[in-house]
Amino acid sequence: MSSSISSSDISRSDAAWGRCLAAFLGALGIGALLILVLMVLVDPYDSGQFGLLGIEGVVDQNATTADASRARDPRFDSAIFGNSTGQLLDPADLSPATGKHFVQLVAPGADPRGQLAILDFFIRHHPHIGALVVVTDELWCSHNPAPLPANLFPFWLYDGSKLDYARHLFSWRALDHAFQRITIGLGSRKRMAPDGFWSYEEVWPPGGKHPAVTTPPQQPPFAGQVSDVFPIETLLEGAIKKLPAEVAVVLLVPPTFFTIIPQPGSLAAAEHEACNKAFRSIVAGRPHSNFIDYRIDNALSRDPANFVDLIHYRAKIAQKIDQGVIASFAFGNAAKIDF
Amino acid sequence: MLFSDYPFLLVFLPAAIVIYRLADPHPRWRIAVLLLLSFVFYGYWNPPSVVLLAASIVMNWLAMLAYQRTKWPAVVTAMIVIDLLVLGVFKYANFFVYNLGVALDRPMPQLDIVLPLGISFFTFHHIMYLADLRRGKAPSCSLGRYALYIAFFPQAIAGPLARWSQVMHQFGRRVYSPGWQRQFCIGISFIAIGLFEKILLGDRIGRLLDPIYAQADRGQVLNGDSWLALVFNIQILFDFAGYSDIAIGLGLLFGVQLPFNFNAPFRSTSIQDFWQRWHMTLMLFLRDYVFHPLANARIVPRRFRLLQYFGAMLLTMTLCGLWHGASWSFVLWGILHGGALVGCSLWRRHGPRLPPLIGWALTVVFVLLTGVIFRAATLDAAWNVFCGLAIPPTLDRGKHLVPVVVVPLIAFLLPASQDIVARLTARPRPLLAGLLGIGMLALLLEIGDRELHEFIYFQF
Repeated sequence: MSSSISSSDISRSDAAWGRCLAAFLGALGIGALLILVLMVLVDPYDSGQFGLLGIEGVVDQNATTADASRARDPRFDSAIFGNSTGQLLDPADLSPATGKHFVQLVAPGADPRGQLAILDFFIRHHPHIGALVVVTDELWCSHNPAPLPANLFPFWLYDGSKLDYARHLFSWRALDHAFQRITIGLGSRKRMAPDGFWSYEEVWPPGGKHPAVTTPPQQPPFAGQVSDVFPIETLLEGAIKKLPAEVAVVLLVPPTFFTIIPQPGSLAAAEHEACNKAFRSIVAGRPHSNFIDYRIDNALSRDPANFVDLIHYRAKIAQKIDQGVIASFAFGNAAKIDF
Repeated sequence: MLFSDYPFLLVFLPAAIVIYRLADPHPRWRIAVLLLLSFVFYGYWNPPSVVLLAASIVMNWLAMLAYQRTKWPAVVTAMIVIDLLVLGVFKYANFFVYNLGVALDRPMPQLDIVLPLGISFFTFHHIMYLADLRRGKAPSCSLGRYALYIAFFPQAIAGPLARWSQVMHQFGRRVYSPGWQRQFCIGISFIAIGLFEKILLGDRIGRLLDPIYAQADRGQVLNGDSWLALVFNIQILFDFAGYSDIAIGLGLLFGVQLPFNFNAPFRSTSIQDFWQRWHMTLMLFLRDYVFHPLANARIVPRRFRLLQYFGAMLLTMTLCGLWHGASWSFVLWGILHGGALVGCSLWRRHGPRLPPLIGWALTVVFVLLTGVIFRAATLDAAWNVFCGLAIPPTLDRGKHLVPVVVVPLIAFLLPASQDIVARLTARPRPLLAGLLGIGMLALLLEIGDRELHEFIYFQF
């Protein structure tokens, strides 16, 4: 008798613990399912992979993720790529002067592989491309083919794999973006500027932050040969070569404050010239295309008022670059560059 | 495969549970299936290292067989020496070569050696079994059961260092027998708490501390950041206690109760108390297999036995430091803790009784200060952190410093996780279980947000 009571107690207890397990798994499973449904409906990064609700645009301060939405916007046929050193190039200057429709797709902090992923994404989403501007800083001239350490660029957002994309939507950040997109859909919030332009001079207004004027240490003379193999630059070459011949391309090396410009006759100068040569060869023969090296020692690059820090120039220089790009699209490598 | 990463939590673990559920009704399959799962888990990190693990298991098991047949203690001793040599080559060869170069004042080549994951832990598991075999305490066992003792995936990589007597008899038992639902609830609670400790407490502090220690490695630490660097020991507590709790929870899902590893160590009122609450399974190993043999060996005359006792204590802790890594900073850390244990022991014999609050404060300050030596890459880096303490801390980073205040308070005030789990699972409460499910979902979303910190103890 007591034994049968005991075994029924045990089974009652097991059933109660079983309900606990069911409650745990149910809450976890239903919660996960709801999140998945929300993501499929909203597409938090507006990448075009999901998004049954058809909401357009994002509210995302992070250009690295916001670029997915802009890069597939059919209103634009032309784009600017690079990192923060290309951020002040203004589509509002380039578009009317060239007759094309430019979108800013720079990704601050991204290394060249990330920038190439955005370039590839843009190309895949535009059957007709007008023109491209690629801001190629020193990082493109690395001889090391290995990816940079701790590269946190969201390749999953640009590589086109639905599964990889979905896997990265299970996060607080994606949920936050989803709710922001819902507010855009409901009309209670405005999407960010579709052309992606934002000036860091809003944070560092002119007359404020600037680099210190120091005397750069004398770099030793160098008379040897440097390697002309630039693996990352080669990736860019491959991407540009795939484009139809009528797509105009301007590659430009952004200006830096004079203290970090390679001194003539030094190893750094030889490396810089070898890299420039490789850039030139990428656009050689392509109509309305050009390579411009703005990393030169002159009155503009010596004035600290023209820079926020050693590598980020101000609007005065950016306007000069915009003019150089516009001239290049008109006259190719015969363009007169005023810098 | 990290316990706190998606590949483990969303793929390996559910698959392992389903596969083992299918094997559970068949007694002959239970150990084999669990062993296979363990090798898959271990091989995911570096497939070739499975060969080393398997070879190590087979060699030690053959040594056990040879000892059973011959009863020659030398067989066991030789095997333990081989185990230690293998550990020494993988873990200390470069350290030895480097210091030899320094001593001879000539550069020596560094060997290209990859430290196999968990080698320190599985070597100690071998030693515990073989030493007890020689003492006549451990029984012989099948190759499968022995292999599972060494490779059981919840404990293989970073412990807890379970004795053979604690776990071996549990392998092969039926998991899905009456009461399994409760075991699962307890296991899941341990996993949830462990993930909380690791992701929300340990990693959060780690993100604040990593740049500070990187700066200390380069030079002076400015802005009073050294004061933040002091909380490293709290980070490692939640990192490793979190790992251990997940391991314990996983063990329960496969019918094995692993020993507890931490017992609220930052509530200790003396350094002796601390070492009875911190990484308890390692300390029990060191006590039984290093300290006791050293302290009880008839090496010195009777009147010097106390000196031998303290010497054994100091040497044990020095080896404990060296076990954590091939670096002089670990050795110094071990010596300091050994010295503190000797000092504490002498104080207990000859000094006045300290009020618990003062004992607690002294213990915490000592542990946090020596934690800097443990964490810093070099002694120079540790010195840079200590020099930086001359600059008072600045509070202008506001809310970013909240973890540095809140997380230590949790370490000081909350009971051990096993006590929390015992309270949570005292009786079945479906509502609480549902809330735990939502909490687990929140943790999974948190994992999706970030690149994970590897568990600190993986490097040991």
